[in-house]
Amino acid sequence: MRRFFLFSWVIVALLLTACGGQTPAATSTSTPEAQTGGKSITLNGAGATFPLPVYTEWNQMYRSVQPDVTINYQGIGSGGGQKAILDSTVDFAGSDSLLKDNQYTKMPDLQMLPMLAGAVVPIYNLPGVDKLVLDGPTMVDIFMANITNWNDPAIAKLNPGVSLPDAPIVVAHRSDGSGTTEIFTSYLGAVSEEWKNSVGVGKAIEWPADKNGQGIGGKGNPGVAQAVQATPNAIGYVELAYAKSNSIPFANLINAAGNEVTADAETMQDAMAAFANAFNERLTAKIMNAPGQKSWPIMGYTYLIIHMKENQNCDKTKALLEYASWAVSDPAAAQKAADLGYATLPNAVKELVMAKLQEVTCNGQKVLQ
Amino acid sequence: MPQDLFAQIDLPRVYRRRRFLNDVALSLTGVAVALAVIPLVWIVVYVFLKGMQNINLDFFIHLPQAMGTTGGGVTNAIQGSIVMVLVAVVVAIPIALLVAFYLLFHPQTLLGQILRFSTDLLAGVPSIVIGLFGYAILVVPFKHFSALAGGLVLAMIMLPIVIRSAEEMLKLVPKELREGALALGAPEWKTSLSVVLVAALEGIVTGVMLAIARATGETAPLLFTALGNEHYNVVAYVRQGISQHQSIFQILHKILAEPTDALPLTLWKYAQQPYPERVAQSWTVALVLMFFVLALNIGARSWLARKRRQTRG
Amino acid sequence: MQRSKGSTITPMLSSQLGNRNPSWRARMGRWLQHGDRIWRTALLVASLLTVLLVLMIAWEIWTGSTLSRHEFGWNFLLPWVESVWNPALDRFQAWPAIYGSLITSLIALALAVPFSVAIAIFLSELAPPVLRTPLNTMVEMLAAVPSVVYGLWGIYVFLPVVVTPIGRVLAASVGSVPGLSLLFAGPMPVSGTSRLAAALILTFMVTPTIASVSREVLQAIPRSQREASLALGATPWETVWKVLLPYGLSGILGAVILGFGRAIGETMAVTMVIGNVSGSGYSVLRPGYTMASIIANEFAEAVSDMHTSALIEIALILFVVTIILNVIARWLVASVNRKTMGS
Repeated sequence: MRRFFLFSWVIVALLLTACGGQTPAATSTSTPEAQTGGKSITLNGAGATFPLPVYTEWNQMYRSVQPDVTINYQGIGSGGGQKAILDSTVDFAGSDSLLKDNQYTKMPDLQMLPMLAGAVVPIYNLPGVDKLVLDGPTMVDIFMANITNWNDPAIAKLNPGVSLPDAPIVVAHRSDGSGTTEIFTSYLGAVSEEWKNSVGVGKAIEWPADKNGQGIGGKGNPGVAQAVQATPNAIGYVELAYAKSNSIPFANLINAAGNEVTADAETMQDAMAAFANAFNERLTAKIMNAPGQKSWPIMGYTYLIIHMKENQNCDKTKALLEYASWAVSDPAAAQKAADLGYATLPNAVKELVMAKLQEVTCNGQKVLQ
Repeated sequence: MPQDLFAQIDLPRVYRRRRFLNDVALSLTGVAVALAVIPLVWIVVYVFLKGMQNINLDFFIHLPQAMGTTGGGVTNAIQGSIVMVLVAVVVAIPIALLVAFYLLFHPQTLLGQILRFSTDLLAGVPSIVIGLFGYAILVVPFKHFSALAGGLVLAMIMLPIVIRSAEEMLKLVPKELREGALALGAPEWKTSLSVVLVAALEGIVTGVMLAIARATGETAPLLFTALGNEHYNVVAYVRQGISQHQSIFQILHKILAEPTDALPLTLWKYAQQPYPERVAQSWTVALVLMFFVLALNIGARSWLARKRRQTRG
Repeated sequence: MQRSKGSTITPMLSSQLGNRNPSWRARMGRWLQHGDRIWRTALLVASLLTVLLVLMIAWEIWTGSTLSRHEFGWNFLLPWVESVWNPALDRFQAWPAIYGSLITSLIALALAVPFSVAIAIFLSELAPPVLRTPLNTMVEMLAAVPSVVYGLWGIYVFLPVVVTPIGRVLAASVGSVPGLSLLFAGPMPVSGTSRLAAALILTFMVTPTIASVSREVLQAIPRSQREASLALGATPWETVWKVLLPYGLSGILGAVILGFGRAIGETMAVTMVIGNVSGSGYSVLRPGYTMASIIANEFAEAVSDMHTSALIEIALILFVVTIILNVIARWLVASVNRKTMGS
């Protein structure tokens, strides 16, 4: 028995030494940064899955910018991020759902910083159908469960020449509190008074399709994308990056100006331009159902939530602020975001964010000079 | 009336029918066993085939890559699982052994009965409830998701399993052994630790192995305590600590205070992803996890079975 | 603990008085004289800690759910058809989740019990000794496979290959029969995500629990019972069916109750295949929620106090169910023990 234990310990030891030789932290030979004083800092964040693909990329890229700073971001949903920062269990949160007034009252120094904008797209799984067009009212009817079959005349009218199957529509939605859901339902609410009044707009709502047994809940953006992939005849909504990088087809929409648009860099920028001055004093804005000719109608900003007044660990605060300003201003970071299918902030908004970062204090002292 | 009935019965036919029923029913029980084994074989073989496609050294020693890119590994989850299970072992086993000794000495007292009931209850409480409890008392007050919180929650899962098996094993130690040691003048604690415990050690170790297997496979209690961490790397922490001349406590603090990943947690996250690379890796995670858990189980059980045969013989 | 502290303080005081300056060895020896006292205190402390842990869990979920208990009262539990679970409005009723837990566990038990008892009979009465241990190990391994692995295999293999066809057949055959249509209304999502999927996976997970306890119950039945029956001319099957099973009935019931406890608390595999929606009616072919899966899905992001509290109240329900099941199972097993001791 003793030999058995010795053996297992040897294996563990071998594995551990092997890991050590290969990790980025150990192999990064760049000079220790003076800014952090050579101390290694881990920042823990959690929240929205909407920006998760780009945040994970950024966190990897940031290792070469600041080898001593590790950023751990867990995609647990915008609601999860808000809960975590309100419970103070994380250093920062990610959310694309806006904090409510009572949450600002509970913790007055919370600040939402826009990082990126992204499009929410209706993804579908219809074998044999690679182009689908939908408009606002039809989307509302589908998600209201007024339209329950793919060969419904309303869908057929928008898609002449497409052979739509005679199959019930399965609606995939989020099972967790989600900013993506909030963005998506505020679009449906903007299009339809009925939706706004009977179903509502928010992070988590009661889906009418669930009542018919045609709803499926998925955890996070990845969960919804996976559910649609696995379920023929399903429709769902995810951030563009998930659809793009996994080649999941998504529908074109008829926007507020009456034009058919697809979600891409151009239509996103067009929508953002329409709301360029929409930011209020809390630094939040909506980009909903934009009126531009080429605007993609379902978009939203995604935010980091941070504390404006820190008094715990000023090194950590400083590292966080540096990371945030790098993410907003670095061209390589912006390029990565654009590659994945996100829209970067307009310059005016970037300046607002940078100015806000300057105001953060730790123990009463400004952190960034 | 009964006589009439009796006269009508064709006796050999009754026998035949009874024997037929006997044969059919008994073979059906055999079929039930075969059917129960099918899902096991199906899972094990499928996970093995799918998991082997992606298994390589990188998988064990690299941190995860960004979503949607190939390569990378899950060393964070492997190390996190090891750390949390070690914490659980260090915390749960001494307590469990003391409790088992208490039950051995005071089986029928009020506290003994309450204790046995509590243990059964603790074993029966759904692990998600334990996780929720862990969040309330280990995460919120310290304002940190951490490997320590995850380890302590796993300790709560292991505790009742080890108590039960250890108590059973301690009971099997012949009373004469204990009495002999006491008669020689050894104090009770010494008798317990160096005679009774040693005699029951092998059985207790198998119980501990089963508990480790169970804890390693648990996901639900870690959702709200360990959170997840793609950068968790004990080896890097240790190296960094040594190069910066930190004390062992500082290094230990770093290891235990960070949020961490675990194999089942990673599997849960990766399984529900649209990215084919992640799904492919999730099968490999499943393979590693299942192999470890089943190996511990089979090892412990066959050991136990052999031990039982020896004691009987 | 207090006592041991006292024993170390005494020599310190005496050395301060300057009477003696005990050597390290002597001090150690004196300390060890109290070894039994320390040992017993340690046993007691560990035992109290364990009891305290259970009490703390109970206390934490009782106080944590106060808000929800006061706001919703018994309405939270009652089986309203139009139950609301709406985080946006802060209105919560747990019935959809309770129903989901009950229906999935009961279907799993209904399917698992005949199997498990048959397995127990085979392993305890029929299997040749050489096969007994390996077969038993294999059946028990079904319980050892981690829950998430079941979930992964469920999503990608079991659901599309097995559950979807079964669901299609059920919806087509009994889905429109009046009465049964409540339970079997289709259509099932093509991915197979449904309460039925959860129930079938739970079947695999509870079978080993019920089988191994039942096997132990059967093996504990005295030999004389079997011999008497066989001597009277009963076939082996008649012996099993008319003597052993009635004799061990309460023990087997205890095993079933343990299986029920396992099924109702199972979280991960269920969460991965059940679809996670609330208010989807009663059909087993549709997605739903269970109590454990709703906690797993929503607890991490329950921002409002009421939402958190409602989820903790669901944990409270699970805890109370665990207590009740435990008490019943203990009572049943104890009654078997009495019977076996008596004969």
